[in-house]
Amino acid sequence: MTNQDDMAARLMDDMDPKLLEFLRTKVNSFIKWDLVRFFHDNPHTTDTAENIARYAGRDPRTIESELIELTRSGVLEMQQVSNYKVYTLATDAEMRALIDRFILACDDRQFRVKAIYHVIRGMK
Amino acid sequence: MERVKTGIHGLDEMLSGGFLPETANLVEGAPGTGKTTLGMQFIYNGATQFDQPGLILTFEEFPRQYYRDALSFGWDFKALEAQNKLRVVMTSPEVTKLDLQRVNGQVERMAAEIGAQRILIDSLSHFERMTTDPIELRGLVFEFINALKRLNFTCVLTRENPALLGEPGDVEDSGLAFVVDSYILLRYVEIESAVHKALLVLKLRGSNHDKEIREFTIGPDGMEVKTRFEDQEGIFTGTPRRRMRDAFAQAFPGANK
Repeated sequence: MTNQDDMAARLMDDMDPKLLEFLRTKVNSFIKWDLVRFFHDNPHTTDTAENIARYAGRDPRTIESELIELTRSGVLEMQQVSNYKVYTLATDAEMRALIDRFILACDDRQFRVKAIYHVIRGMK
Repeated sequence: MERVKTGIHGLDEMLSGGFLPETANLVEGAPGTGKTTLGMQFIYNGATQFDQPGLILTFEEFPRQYYRDALSFGWDFKALEAQNKLRVVMTSPEVTKLDLQRVNGQVERMAAEIGAQRILIDSLSHFERMTTDPIELRGLVFEFINALKRLNFTCVLTRENPALLGEPGDVEDSGLAFVVDSYILLRYVEIESAVHKALLVLKLRGSNHDKEIREFTIGPDGMEVKTRFEDQEGIFTGTPRRRMRDAFAQAFPGANK
């Protein structure tokens, strides 16, 4: 890594450490970012990957794998309702507060630029 | 007899005081007639005036749309959710049907969490994507309604009717009117080149009700049911005409003297 890259990385890391960790470990793709925003805006959504894909205007197979990862990382919860796997926002108060903070932080352009940098790095 | 008041000016009067408790009440109308507004007002008034928290199950509209639309009438749904008096749940008929069949499913848990007594289902039309067979559809809706009643909900269920005015073919044909306890029709009516809205309580099982076709408006505070249409007949054709005797009296003033 060059000195310039190192400086950029340090600049991009300059954010709330909890949000930085949230981005690095949980919201490490743009689809996950979209899904987190969707569940934040519609917090009592309870539906299948197929229907959530329809609401989000995305491909169901892509959405399903992202939903599974968000469930593994504790952002969402999955329940088996008969033959259907149904996804909801995590009920954990700490996780919900973290999601609220993330969405609120996204209102700030500087934060968004940094967050996009981390998502792209995470996707590499 | 105990009633579940809608709190909508004029409508409770038509319903002899309100809906009967733990009943399924169908509101049918063309797009934009005010079905969802009526339902939201029923839920909002329940939570704020009658200490009856409620759930909204939406099968198409995003909850954020409800928050926004409700706020335009001054109804703060987000605040009600924070006070545990409301939950706006986005889901699908397939999932809800199976969820209600479970013991302690999500709807049941959510209702218990906030003590919900009212529910808005918006809309029943989405059950139509589960089957094209009207008999099977009636069975599905019957089972769904019974599950909601088992949870002691008083329900408002909306249903779309594609007929904007009184075109032929707009008659309820799937038999759903038979499985609900009350049936309210909302219609557009054209009178003298202006579109008005009309409301009729077609059915209220186990109770008397007003049979008049009344005009209603949706203003800054929500829905308000007014008086019946004066001097008009054939309202539900969508293009009513002046009553014959009034038209005659206008054409031949003094003829009755």
